[in-house]
Amino acid sequence: MAEVHVIGQIVGASGFPEHSLFCKWGVHAGGAWKILSGTREGQTQVDNPQDEERANWSHPIDIHFSTKGLQGWPKLHFQVWHQDSYGRNELYGYGFCHVPTSPGMHNLECVTWRPAGSLREQISQYFIGGGPQLKNPDVVYTGADRCKLTTVTMGKVQLQLGIILRNFDKYGIEC
Amino acid sequence: MAGNPTVFLLMVSGQIESAEFPEFDDIYCRYCWVYGQDWVITSGLEEGITQVTKKSHDDRKLFVWNFPLEVTFKSTNPHGWPQLVVSAYGQDAFGRDVVRGYSAVHIPVTPGQHTRTLPMFVPESTSKLQKFVSWFLGRRPEYVDPKVVAQGEGREVTRVRSQGKVRVSFNVVTKDMKKLGYDTTPTDAGASTQPAATGIVPGAS
Repeated sequence: MAEVHVIGQIVGASGFPEHSLFCKWGVHAGGAWKILSGTREGQTQVDNPQDEERANWSHPIDIHFSTKGLQGWPKLHFQVWHQDSYGRNELYGYGFCHVPTSPGMHNLECVTWRPAGSLREQISQYFIGGGPQLKNPDVVYTGADRCKLTTVTMGKVQLQLGIILRNFDKYGIEC
Repeated sequence: MAGNPTVFLLMVSGQIESAEFPEFDDIYCRYCWVYGQDWVITSGLEEGITQVTKKSHDDRKLFVWNFPLEVTFKSTNPHGWPQLVVSAYGQDAFGRDVVRGYSAVHIPVTPGQHTRTLPMFVPESTSKLQKFVSWFLGRRPEYVDPKVVAQGEGREVTRVRSQGKVRVSFNVVTKDMKKLGYDTTPTDAGASTQPAATGIVPGAS
């Protein structure tokens, strides 16, 4: 059985219109993969940066997978939310990125988007906040029903991941 | 050496180099290592405190500690890979110790030299009244146990303010990870070098 360790952190996010952001993250993998230890989802703290534009979460990720096949390589998916001073949460972006397939340290930048909504929804969002959200969050990491969506570009989530692979060379995998 | 290894070693030599905290002066750091259940420190200190330093008077406004970190871990499983937790403390206007920031970072998994910039953050009070009272009494919100910063659970209820950054450098050496089947570098790297077991010293004629 081959094993993959993902050891790193969600460093932060930048490029969003407001400060005071947090991120809900999760990992999704195909049927051949099993999580041996580590949490498969979580939520970061809410950060309000003082000096710089980037929100800093430094949220640790330590997941240990075992796998019987290459299909369904794990993907990390994110939802970036904004928390305003009244405690309301507003969706700021969805994004996903694959866990890197080669061992070593990687700096990743995951781009995000949010659903655009009709003209009426956009106007009301401008004034009172709270735009449309996806009913089924699986769309973030699958391509299935994407053609029905119109989306707006949002900021980026930065990650720093260290990947350790075990026994991949025994099976003849080059990565 | 007969027998297959069952443990691997991770040796880190590095330093807590310097920091930038634009609004503060007179800062010292406390650090500690946080690691999973399968890990044990075989040499080096589990925690320590740096000196108090004042920022430089030039444009860089840099705090320099140059504080050595030397530790060796032994483990059977990369899960729970060690993290360095750094907490920075300073003095407020009334001379009391207040926390200036927390951060955590994993030791890099690849052997070699690495530099990391840790963004520091402090927990924030929820209301303006609480903020004023804590400023007045000198009791800022802080974590009961700084090791919380190295975990993901329970963070969803905390609100923080990030300020400042600390620069740390690591030199990482691992032993027997390859023998246990773990790869921390891609297959192309090192494929053309002579294996050490043949007794050939590179460069010797």
